[in-house]
Amino acid sequence: MIDIQLEQLIQRAESLPKLPDTTVRLIRVINDPASTFQQIVDVIRFDQTVTTELLRLCNSAYFGLSRPIVSIDDAVRYVGTAKLMQLVMAAHTHALLGPEQAGYGLLPGALWSHSVGVALACQVMAGYLKIQDKGLLFTVGLLHDIGKIVLNENVGAEYAGIVRIVNDEKIPFHEAERRMFGITHAEVGELVANRWKLPHPIPCCIRYHHEPAALPTPDPIIDALHLADTACLLLGIGGGDDSHMYRIDEDVLERTGIKTGEIENIGATVVTELKSVQKLFGFE
Amino acid sequence: MAEIALKPTTRLTNIVVDIADLAVSKDPGALLITYSLGSCIGVSIWDPVAKVAGLLHYMLPESSISPDKAKANPAMFCDTGVPKLFKAVYQLGATKRRLVVKVAGGSQLLDDKGTFNIGKRNYLALRKIFWKNGIMIDGEHIGGSISRTVRMEVTTGTVIIKTRGGEVPL
Repeated sequence: MIDIQLEQLIQRAESLPKLPDTTVRLIRVINDPASTFQQIVDVIRFDQTVTTELLRLCNSAYFGLSRPIVSIDDAVRYVGTAKLMQLVMAAHTHALLGPEQAGYGLLPGALWSHSVGVALACQVMAGYLKIQDKGLLFTVGLLHDIGKIVLNENVGAEYAGIVRIVNDEKIPFHEAERRMFGITHAEVGELVANRWKLPHPIPCCIRYHHEPAALPTPDPIIDALHLADTACLLLGIGGGDDSHMYRIDEDVLERTGIKTGEIENIGATVVTELKSVQKLFGFE
Repeated sequence: MAEIALKPTTRLTNIVVDIADLAVSKDPGALLITYSLGSCIGVSIWDPVAKVAGLLHYMLPESSISPDKAKANPAMFCDTGVPKLFKAVYQLGATKRRLVVKVAGGSQLLDDKGTFNIGKRNYLALRKIFWKNGIMIDGEHIGGSISRTVRMEVTTGTVIIKTRGGEVPL
């Protein structure tokens, strides 16, 4: 086993591009059941750059609105808070998730596409599974793989050895990471989310996205995230070299009752949506 | 890892085929390329006389799950994307009986028990449509739990499959 010092990982996590303050504030207010609609709008209103960017997005062909949107109140009225929040978060994570992660075989833009794809898939999944908390699902979908950015270099150096463990021991890629480094990209992700002081249960969802069975009791949000992530990995939505070396948890399939047809439908919807989001931001 | 040089003396222009997308070309300076094929399938067809190449990256077997999406984007599904790919190369002067057909992708997760076996369904759908239309597959790189990139040179029809393990001509 290659021993990675926790300190070293934390240091690397510290040097990641920071999520913009507005995004972190947004994540906090959206995921706080006590926060009001006005508080959410205010987070945006007081950030001039975000306001300008949002107005540009709202007036783009993506929304195809018949009248010009000139204020945040207008934007919220015509586009909806949830959609606006999602676009702000997708745009703001591009600096962090956009660069190539060669260790995982993720080309430039691939991790961002995968993350937005999983976030969108989580939203569709929420509909199927009747989960109310769509904001939380979108957030965890978008951030579930942040640990890969930190572990990328180590995975690149030991890739052949990790795949050998996957093949010899018939275990998924994240478990092979644990054998190799003593920690998985999902656990590193939890660490990063805690450093960023993202509210509960975001760090926990990130940690268990590949192993929902490791939780003491099943969690609907983590089930949905696991299904959404595995579907996007399988379909190659922002795929890397490790994409297929994972397992679907059969108990989650049974609990949720999700079938092949639904997975295919989700895939079709996500790719269609993702293409329009990529076009909107010019991240093609 | 050394990249296999397709044509070291010329600089080729990449035409990138996105997921659920297709492209055809008769430009001698072009290279059709599609990245990260998972359970999706890449279908490459080439006419050696007309020097016309086409590449499709479809993601799902049957358009019946969403006729609207198939109408908006036929390249998303096998049963709508494959006919569209063939028609597009015919329009550039290719002839069916001369076409060289190579396919790659159809990956699966570890220990898949069926629900997520879209790669296999994708491959079976392709075999079915080819069988109905009397089309032979000249080369294939299918299955396993790996991600593939397909590169195809328009003038020579050379198809290269790139995985983390290296590159192989198909």
